[in-house]
Amino acid sequence: MMTFPRVAAAVFGVLALAAPLMLERGTLNDVWSLAFAVILASAWNLLGGFAGQVSLGYSAFLGIGAYATVLLSLNGMNPFLTLPLGAVLAAAFSVLIGLPAFRLRGPYFTIATIGVGEVVRVCASSVSFTGGSSGLRMPPGSFDFTLNYLSMVALAIAVVALAAFVKRSAFGQALAAIRQDIDAAESLGIDSTRFKLLAHALSAALVAVAGGLYAINFQYIAPGSVFDFRLSLSIVLMPIVGGVGTIAGPVLGALVFSTLQVKLLSIPALRDSYLFLYGTLLIVVMLFEPKGILGLVRRVLHRRLRRFYADA
Amino acid sequence: MPEPILSVKALKKRFGGLLALSDVSFSVTEGEIFGVIGPNGAGKTTLFSCLVGSLSPTSGSILFRGREIAGLPNYAVVARGLVRTHQIARPFRDMTVEANVSIGAHFGAGHRRGADARRRVAEILERTGLGERAGSLAMALPIGDLKRLEIARALATEPAVLCLDEVMGGLNPSEIVAAMSLIRAIRDSGLTVLMIEHHVHAVAGVTDRVLVLNFGEMIAEGVPKDVLRNPKVVAAYLGDDAGDA
Repeated sequence: MMTFPRVAAAVFGVLALAAPLMLERGTLNDVWSLAFAVILASAWNLLGGFAGQVSLGYSAFLGIGAYATVLLSLNGMNPFLTLPLGAVLAAAFSVLIGLPAFRLRGPYFTIATIGVGEVVRVCASSVSFTGGSSGLRMPPGSFDFTLNYLSMVALAIAVVALAAFVKRSAFGQALAAIRQDIDAAESLGIDSTRFKLLAHALSAALVAVAGGLYAINFQYIAPGSVFDFRLSLSIVLMPIVGGVGTIAGPVLGALVFSTLQVKLLSIPALRDSYLFLYGTLLIVVMLFEPKGILGLVRRVLHRRLRRFYADA
Repeated sequence: MPEPILSVKALKKRFGGLLALSDVSFSVTEGEIFGVIGPNGAGKTTLFSCLVGSLSPTSGSILFRGREIAGLPNYAVVARGLVRTHQIARPFRDMTVEANVSIGAHFGAGHRRGADARRRVAEILERTGLGERAGSLAMALPIGDLKRLEIARALATEPAVLCLDEVMGGLNPSEIVAAMSLIRAIRDSGLTVLMIEHHVHAVAGVTDRVLVLNFGEMIAEGVPKDVLRNPKVVAAYLGDDAGDA
């Protein structure tokens, strides 16, 4: 069925893909950032939103993807061919940390994931093959911004479509059951650990591909940029502010987030204040509209429609 | 005597210093309605939790269709055809009644998908009297329907043995009569039923045999009319003085 949100999403997707023909480089850069944020938020939402497992360690997967791309490219591989390898690596790592971490529930799981993210960052800055804390540069070669742009936007569209597909599938139903009552889910035959591991691996792989594309476009990565805890925090904040567990919510959150960041980063005095602003926004959302911006929009629309029908 | 479908031997569950189940042994024959009764805190729900694997027993054996299931995780026990309901209903509150039941159809022993699962779910909703509630959110249901939803979800996993944990608690007399006939109908469709129940008339009216637990120990087992007259059982429910009298 072609509902309004689907038509809007399709039109927006086509416009974003055709944008290089119409828009200038600066604006395209902003759309690239938006697409990057949409991928991170929507992929995190697969585990954090659908299954309710709030992880604060997602920079680890982004970093693994980014480092896999740079290291393999330095060894002569085509950068775009390194992306699936980074995805597999991140998925494997997600299973490795998920096996012990998913034994924990609620806030204890979240705290464990903070530890994982930090351990990975410290390791990346102290071993030699990652270039330590000074980071790594991509090998010199052909840099094609239009190609980078199209890859990131196409991946963003694919991730949102995948999230919509998962939400309607039996897999998505199992994740929803796990979120609402994990013991009741198990008592109806759901192997909760297996489904959590699957969701974790899927979202980790998608985030890793985004990390690889990030490295290809920026040409330079360091533990401080791709393994940053603030990055993990932003990945969680976007879907929560937008509307956790929904399809449009993470996209809205990513839109708000990347707009704020672009605007604030251009004012030197406010460079680091976007997290403060975002934190404030988070508190407001938690207090007044736990279903996020999307929840607010739906409520207002609902009221309008009711009034409209009452008048008619 | 036919081979028992479920056979529990010397089952023990310890929580720190508390022995919640000590040396519980019994067998259930296929097609039976088997009651488990006892005062509050007797270990009835703990027994069910150990049977389905949501708790791991400290020691003992649980043979289900001839295979050991003690210590298996809950979902694996469901896959083999043994399922339980919860005393306090635990619906997926944000899902419709239909979606709640389809979870059982998708992930239980049947592993049904698509149209096959939908047919099965519709049939179970009809049988349990929830047909008209299919589209309601679970959080909007009154207690009687919530109890039925617990049963419907468990049935959707296509079990051979259904463990009902106080499905009549909180129901009014006419709902209890309906629940009793539903339980008989479930048995007549080929299932074996284990049920924890407080309601003495319900137990006497529907079960074939009864096991009585008190402080984690078995104090009686047999047909309901004998067991309910057993002085030890009366004493457990009403206190020692009543038993002596």
